[in-house]
Amino acid sequence: MTFFRFDIDARARKAGRLMGRVRRELLKAIMEERRAGLTQQQLAQRLQTRRALVNQKLSGEAEITLRELADLAWALDREICVELRRPDQMAGDNIAPRTSTIGYQPARIIAPKRSAD
Amino acid sequence: MPTISGLVANGAIVRIEVELGPHEQPLRLLYGTPQFVTWLQEILAGASPPSRLLGHLAPAQQIDDLFYSFLSGAPLVFNRQFRAVRAEDNAVWELKTPDIRIFGWFMAKDCFVAVFGNWADIIKDHDLYRGYRIAIRRLRRELGIGETLCVKGDAPDDVLSI
Repeated sequence: MTFFRFDIDARARKAGRLMGRVRRELLKAIMEERRAGLTQQQLAQRLQTRRALVNQKLSGEAEITLRELADLAWALDREICVELRRPDQMAGDNIAPRTSTIGYQPARIIAPKRSAD
Repeated sequence: MPTISGLVANGAIVRIEVELGPHEQPLRLLYGTPQFVTWLQEILAGASPPSRLLGHLAPAQQIDDLFYSFLSGAPLVFNRQFRAVRAEDNAVWELKTPDIRIFGWFMAKDCFVAVFGNWADIIKDHDLYRGYRIAIRRLRRELGIGETLCVKGDAPDDVLSI
């Protein structure tokens, strides 16, 4: 074996990467605001929540709901851009493999965590 | 003197890929030992965590997003608290998700070799950090890897160009 493709099914991949991307965008904005003087404590105060709870959301330990995303964007003074596009095909694009090194299987959710209310 | 292509050819390391978007090309390289790939296969098969998961995503999703962000060149370090990559002693580095820890070393900037993967809880409960550091140093020695295929710095800028 000279290469291994870590291959989870497309549905699980899309969900995981979307959430990862949202967290990275939020962290990027938070770091920009931190350089301008906003502390994480102040951010939590703006949101009228606990700093530890915000940190859990940002670290991936707790899910970020759409409402919470909107609240964070408001507190950070950022616009949210949402667009659903059909995948466009262009010359030179990567082509997703039709065969898999491991077979397509949904990622099994083990002991799913209930969101902390 | 070993080369990356030589290590791949003799089976010491395996290139690891994830599916990238239609317009994306890998901006970093990821390799793993055969033992690490076996561990990945166990995760894909639904290996059970030792305790309740901390993250809200399944372990395989956490690893997929980690590998995707690594390979696509996404930022991995935001500050001391929020970082997906962390330096250990002995030129060993850790990649992390809420529930998973991966240990290895950088053969070159943006070129990581994963050697061990494990549940974060197990590593913390049994304090496996030192053992992994020693084992990775031993593996490098066995593979004949010296200065040329091991980045020594311990700052993220030493191992990541983006």
